[in-house]
Amino acid sequence: MGAAAELEDFRGTVRHWCRTHVPANWRTAQTGVSEAEFAAFQKWWFAELRSAGYAVPHWPAAWGGGLSAAEQVILYSELAAADAPRLVLAFVAIHHAAATLLAAGTDEQRQRHLPAILDGEIWVQGFSEPEAGSDLASLRTTARRDGDNYVVNGQKLWASGAMHADWCLLLARTDPSAPKRRGISYLLMDMRSPGLDVRPIKNAVGDSHFCEIFLNDVFIPAANLVGPENAGWRVAQETLGAERGMTMVELAERLGNAGFRWLVEACAQRGIVGDSLVADRLAAFETEITGLRALCRGLVDRHEAGTAGPADASIVKLYYSELLQRMTDFGAQIGGLDAHAVLSKPASSGWESGAWMLDFIGSWEWTIPGGASEIQRTIIAERGLGLPREPAA
Amino acid sequence: MTQDPTSTTTTTDDDDLAEARAELRAVARDLLGKANPATKAGWRQLADAGWLGLEAPSAHNGADATFAETAVILEELGRAAAPGPYLGAVVLGIGTLRELAPTPARDDLLTRAATGNALPVAVLSDGSEGAAISHDSPPFRLEQTSGGLRLHGQAAFAPDAAEATRLLLLAGTTEDDGALVIIDVDPGTAGLTVMAQPVLDATRQLAQITADGFKVDEASLWHFNGGPSAAARRLLDRAAAAIACDSLGLSEAMLETTVAYAKVRQQFGRPIGSFQAVKHACADVLVSISVSRGLVDAAVHAIASGDPQAGVAASMAKSHACQTAVEIAGKAMQLHGGIGYTWESGIHVYLKRAALNRSLFGSPAAHRKRLAARYAEVRP
Repeated sequence: MGAAAELEDFRGTVRHWCRTHVPANWRTAQTGVSEAEFAAFQKWWFAELRSAGYAVPHWPAAWGGGLSAAEQVILYSELAAADAPRLVLAFVAIHHAAATLLAAGTDEQRQRHLPAILDGEIWVQGFSEPEAGSDLASLRTTARRDGDNYVVNGQKLWASGAMHADWCLLLARTDPSAPKRRGISYLLMDMRSPGLDVRPIKNAVGDSHFCEIFLNDVFIPAANLVGPENAGWRVAQETLGAERGMTMVELAERLGNAGFRWLVEACAQRGIVGDSLVADRLAAFETEITGLRALCRGLVDRHEAGTAGPADASIVKLYYSELLQRMTDFGAQIGGLDAHAVLSKPASSGWESGAWMLDFIGSWEWTIPGGASEIQRTIIAERGLGLPREPAA
Repeated sequence: MTQDPTSTTTTTDDDDLAEARAELRAVARDLLGKANPATKAGWRQLADAGWLGLEAPSAHNGADATFAETAVILEELGRAAAPGPYLGAVVLGIGTLRELAPTPARDDLLTRAATGNALPVAVLSDGSEGAAISHDSPPFRLEQTSGGLRLHGQAAFAPDAAEATRLLLLAGTTEDDGALVIIDVDPGTAGLTVMAQPVLDATRQLAQITADGFKVDEASLWHFNGGPSAAARRLLDRAAAAIACDSLGLSEAMLETTVAYAKVRQQFGRPIGSFQAVKHACADVLVSISVSRGLVDAAVHAIASGDPQAGVAASMAKSHACQTAVEIAGKAMQLHGGIGYTWESGIHVYLKRAALNRSLFGSPAAHRKRLAARYAEVRP
């Protein structure tokens, strides 16, 4: 069988799996559920995907992954076409945590955590702080070496899913006298450690998956240091970029399949698909989504080939975020007053759930975190185009 | 629902082809930096480089290449805002000849066109908004009269028609349900008027063609190889994608020149490119070009491989790349400040070409209308 035929064969296998495994009523069943029910559903869906070999397709084969980039694109495309639930809770574990451990972790750390993640270990990212948002390197949480441990004090913010997390990827300052990027270390923190306090923060949508984490003399074994001491900033930079390609493919495929379909259906419901202004906007969105999908696949290809440019990931993140915002805004306009009466959206859905007003409000969760759009533009201009940096203040 | 863009899978063959295209691009950029394809000598250089006959079969002095190679030249022509009849002669002329059933006359014209010894230009649309995306309304009609076959009709804004040595006119017949044919005529034929139509973009030569019922003999009536309607559709999609390539190339040129200027132009004691307002504008241009690049590559690939869905990809590429190119050239003029508004800076040349491209072979709105027609089947 040729390579193309094998891929089509794989597509057929995934499509069949989706037909027999995606629960028909999950959107209704996941609407208005408690945090505990949401977490249970997420863990169940993760286990389903895992038994099929679809939970961590991007991991090396030795650790339970091993799908080619082309197969992963097909997998995400088919999951999106079938409107499968998203892996929300496992996201940090299978992407950020795994990428960090594979790139910079010790053998012991990988053995300890990668199989555990496959068994459902949940991770949270502890990077941002009240005084360290876009300027992440100015973070103040300290980790003081004390024998075989680090003693951590400080406060983390915007830690998504922290109340469900077993482990935390933590950035903390180990050398307060070094220049700000040179004194940060990367640590793995057990969320059951004494001295930890997790408090949910209600966000603009009205849910509370973002958390504050207060750290008060928390002990982290020195063996949980990732990479050399004070090299945490470099480790974080390298591993953040490495996983961006395929996660963006997943999001772009979701926007291009079920997301756009709902938008057209919302217009059809109101009998305005043929309205020339509406038709023009729909065609523009379809064009932009198609461009986004090509952009994401190109990023994956260039990662594979080692030819990705320094601004490529920022281009994709910026374009996706703002396209999502414009598209959900349009959905809210199409939905009219009815869209305002949709008070909850299905948990486990994507950023384009079809509950357009909530999706629209939620789209700021893309334009602000993970490097706000303004930061992305600066990165694109300075690293991608070589424009001069802002003079230091 | 949405169009699946080109797959990520690449093979060794693709890698070899990509390398060959990169080489073609480098040579084209170098040559078009010096040669003027609007002059006889410049056009001869393009012919000698083999760029006219890229898609012609080797038996007709061509290179047996595909639209993907032609697309490289088209992007570079856009980047240079180059004048000359490449659009009329190669995209439309040779493109049309390739779709026609082989005859000694067609083969001879193709052979001479591939080597630059003839300049056949095809006229496929009447220049109106709707006609550029619909193949149902050919600009000319062939009428059977007691005095034989006679050609009527008019087309406006036909690229490079005034420079043509042969004109290939798309006509509907009154028989066979209006089946489409190509009428091959000498531009000097009595009853045929070819009048230059000057436009603000000085890099394009457009013309109006009027057929006043002149007599057409059977030998000038050329048939498509296969379904004529599908062939005409393919030719219009090819034209739209070609213009998208041109707009993508000129967008890239505008970004490069703007970035280079923003790095050296000093105001308030620092390069203007260090101001966020300027650098963020440049970043937006790069993002927009990256999106166009994906859409244009997909359209070119679809056309080169004969994908039946090529029309969708062509409409997406044409609407996005040509709309954003105007915004990008406009941003380039803005960021260059006063100097950008001068005639001498040359940015106006790009802005005018980008705006003309936007209207040629279907406006962004017309192409989006075509895309949106597919949504009508969606049921809530």
